[in-house]
Amino acid sequence: MNTASSAAAWRSMALMALMALLALAAAALPCAAAPAANPAGATLVVAECGDCHKVRADGSLERIGEARRTPEGWEMLIGRMTLIHKVQLTEEKRRALVKYLSDSAGLAPAETANWRYLPERRPDAVERIDEQLVADTCTRCHSYGRIALERRSEADWLRLSHFHVGQYPSIEIQSNGRDRNWWDIASKQVPPLLAKHYPLASDAWNKWQAQTWVKPSGDWRVVGHRPGWGDYEGKATIAETGADEYSITMDLRYADGRVEKASGKAALFTGFEWRASLKQGDQEVRQVFALSEDGTRLQGRWFLRDVDTLGGDLSATRSDGKAQILSVQPEYLKAGATAKIAIHGVGLAGAVDLGPGVSVVRELSRSPETVVVEAKATANAPGGKHPLRVGAASSSEAFTVYQRIDALRLAPERGMARIGGNGGTLAKQPAQFEAVGYVKRGKKELRIGVFPARWSFDNANANAKTFKDASFAGTLEANGLFVPGDAGPNPKRKFRTNNAGDLKVTATLLDGQRSLKASAPLIVTVQRWVDPPLR
Amino acid sequence: MRLTRSALLLAGLAVLGTAAAPAGAKDYLVTATHANKMVIIDVAARKVDKVYPLPNSRGGNTPGTLVVSPDGKTVYIQHNHWETISGIDVDSGREVFRAELSGKGVRGKSTFAFDVSPDGKELAIYVDPVQLLAGEYRVQDTYIAIYDTAAGLDAKPLRSFAAPRRTTLLGYSTDGAKLYALSWDVVILDPKTGKQIGTHPIRHWGRKNFGEPDALTVWPLWGATRIFSFPYVVARTDRKPDAPDALLSGIFQLDLSTDKVRYKEFENTSVVLFSSTISPLRPDEAYSVYTTLSRIDTKKGKLLKRVDLEQTFYNINVSRDGKELYLGGAGPLLAFYDAETLAHLATIHMPDDADQATAAMRYFSH
Repeated sequence: MNTASSAAAWRSMALMALMALLALAAAALPCAAAPAANPAGATLVVAECGDCHKVRADGSLERIGEARRTPEGWEMLIGRMTLIHKVQLTEEKRRALVKYLSDSAGLAPAETANWRYLPERRPDAVERIDEQLVADTCTRCHSYGRIALERRSEADWLRLSHFHVGQYPSIEIQSNGRDRNWWDIASKQVPPLLAKHYPLASDAWNKWQAQTWVKPSGDWRVVGHRPGWGDYEGKATIAETGADEYSITMDLRYADGRVEKASGKAALFTGFEWRASLKQGDQEVRQVFALSEDGTRLQGRWFLRDVDTLGGDLSATRSDGKAQILSVQPEYLKAGATAKIAIHGVGLAGAVDLGPGVSVVRELSRSPETVVVEAKATANAPGGKHPLRVGAASSSEAFTVYQRIDALRLAPERGMARIGGNGGTLAKQPAQFEAVGYVKRGKKELRIGVFPARWSFDNANANAKTFKDASFAGTLEANGLFVPGDAGPNPKRKFRTNNAGDLKVTATLLDGQRSLKASAPLIVTVQRWVDPPLR
Repeated sequence: MRLTRSALLLAGLAVLGTAAAPAGAKDYLVTATHANKMVIIDVAARKVDKVYPLPNSRGGNTPGTLVVSPDGKTVYIQHNHWETISGIDVDSGREVFRAELSGKGVRGKSTFAFDVSPDGKELAIYVDPVQLLAGEYRVQDTYIAIYDTAAGLDAKPLRSFAAPRRTTLLGYSTDGAKLYALSWDVVILDPKTGKQIGTHPIRHWGRKNFGEPDALTVWPLWGATRIFSFPYVVARTDRKPDAPDALLSGIFQLDLSTDKVRYKEFENTSVVLFSSTISPLRPDEAYSVYTTLSRIDTKKGKLLKRVDLEQTFYNINVSRDGKELYLGGAGPLLAFYDAETLAHLATIHMPDDADQATAAMRYFSH
């Protein structure tokens, strides 16, 4: 109540300016140019940072040598040094520092695995919490993942607590700070917990540093899903243009027939953190992928540069890799139905076997990348994840047969959109919903896939009805895309409030003669003024 | 001891509840706007009277607490990212006092909490200091520094003493013998020695079936009554979380003249309330504000009347005669309301329609 509103009111303009700068810096990140093992890196760090950070006995600098960070983490740190401590850096040096520090003091792939959602800017992320006291102390202002994507000595975790009071003195008087002895907790109880969960030294990091890092250059087979548009598949070519610098071109074909070409530039940090900027179709897109430790798979999320709630998942496999099935489109078939099924993969050769109860009526086309068949499921074909085979390649996860849709649920289960535009500096951030069907197997629900649906929305509760939120907060398109309203005070609304709203989005679909319905709450809220690369 | 007419008058007010302004004096409101303006409003004329730029304003400055000297001649203002308290002469806009809270490798910030002594001679300023080392910050113990208001533009503390962290408000008792520091509880200090001479529990009020009350309380809005009050929200611990009365709203009061504390819940929490003030006419009546304006019976614990406002206001003040309410803070508007009917009387705009944000609007005579 009182407290949430006041917390927002307390943010200082300086903080906003800082975060705006960091957001700009992040936008530049994918094009970073620096050699992989930069022998001049250590010298550069001492030259640019050594005025304030003293050299320690082991040659590293105070603070800098006591922490490890993701590329975004180093980017944010250097951004803060530039803005608050007036460090003057050329663009070239800034990039070289981020590259060197990410490579020499980064996080191993395994150390980032649970928090990929943060650099990927997933709008549907649900935070993973390792330690509740840390979450209670820190996450009213930023994500838990932002903490979990750093590694520090215990002494440096303590210095971080000191930094917070120094930089954000309202921290002890804000809601969820003033109700406890915040400084005592933050300075005495939290640092040991952080050092326990996120220690500076780790076996994972030692092992990753000792390993030979594989370059991503080569041809890739791509599959993925773009919420609101559907599944897609295609090809990508990655070519080395400099030390850990790459070009990427992509050809994507969506299941509904749409095609997109993409090309752009990328940089690889810490041997696996792929960050790219592309023109995809007519839009500017960012890719945040992780290269697998053996270099055979690229996986992650891409999103529109200015509207990061919109984007897609992507999984890429080396085109010359062993024969395998990567995806099936559509990913489901109803018992008793006949449909065209496309099987996408690499090295596809040999007979198509769709498993018990599903037969190939005829083969429509074939290449090593895609086999298209007309498939027929008998009325009593066994439901569930269905085994699938094309010659030597097989899959037990990519295809589902179902008798009926037992349950419908929306993805995401809770949505959030942000007003924007209207002459302001920030774009609207829509929310994309999809209707996902499930079959029940005992107490478990098994995901079938995304189904087309009819979409509607309404006020979520009596208060929203009073404020007529549904009339002001935005519009819902035929594919489940909610586009929020214009930013700024609205003279037509009570209290001249903005176009925020508390809504409920509903999808309806017909499965045979049965009508299924599912709803999800949607919060339409204000702009995210403070939007660092790691939120 | 030099006692000004206004100070005597204010002391009298506490007893009488209501009084007229000094002969020949006019009533004013003073507020501040982003980024660096002090704005003085002529209450009777319903218009902006004076606009003064604030000194020493580095980029993005937003003023916070304002405190008026007992003689109404000087307005003290917390600004410069909470690191400076300046005294501004009301007639000329000239800076007559400045306390810099930062210096010598230490950054000091006042979290809204300062006050002027009833004799006008001393300022008590709460400071949250951080040592700035080459590669790190180091949090220091919080303290209250006492300044001589006549110390000019390079004022140094006369003395200082420890004060609890999380302090958001300081207030002198009417006789000047006590300095109240609002932290988790109200700590009562001797302003001469810094010795703790008492406590009014808030967090530790220990009421059966009630949790700890929560409030954002940074605005010293006791102009007409010398009663410091704030709205709070408290959870009932003997209710299910979704029970209608699981959360209650109340008004907390501390009488700066009598040292008496009272509090009472008046409704199931239904709206956000940011600040409150007590009627000089009816001692059991409070007014509270945010997107609504409420009139509250603090004795019976009852909401008497509530009206919607044209926008959000953070601050509320009441006139000396108890007949008018003044709403400010947050946005660019300052509104006048009838204290009995809650009817809207007038709205004026700040210069350039600048936001008042967290500035404390104060009511005074000069």
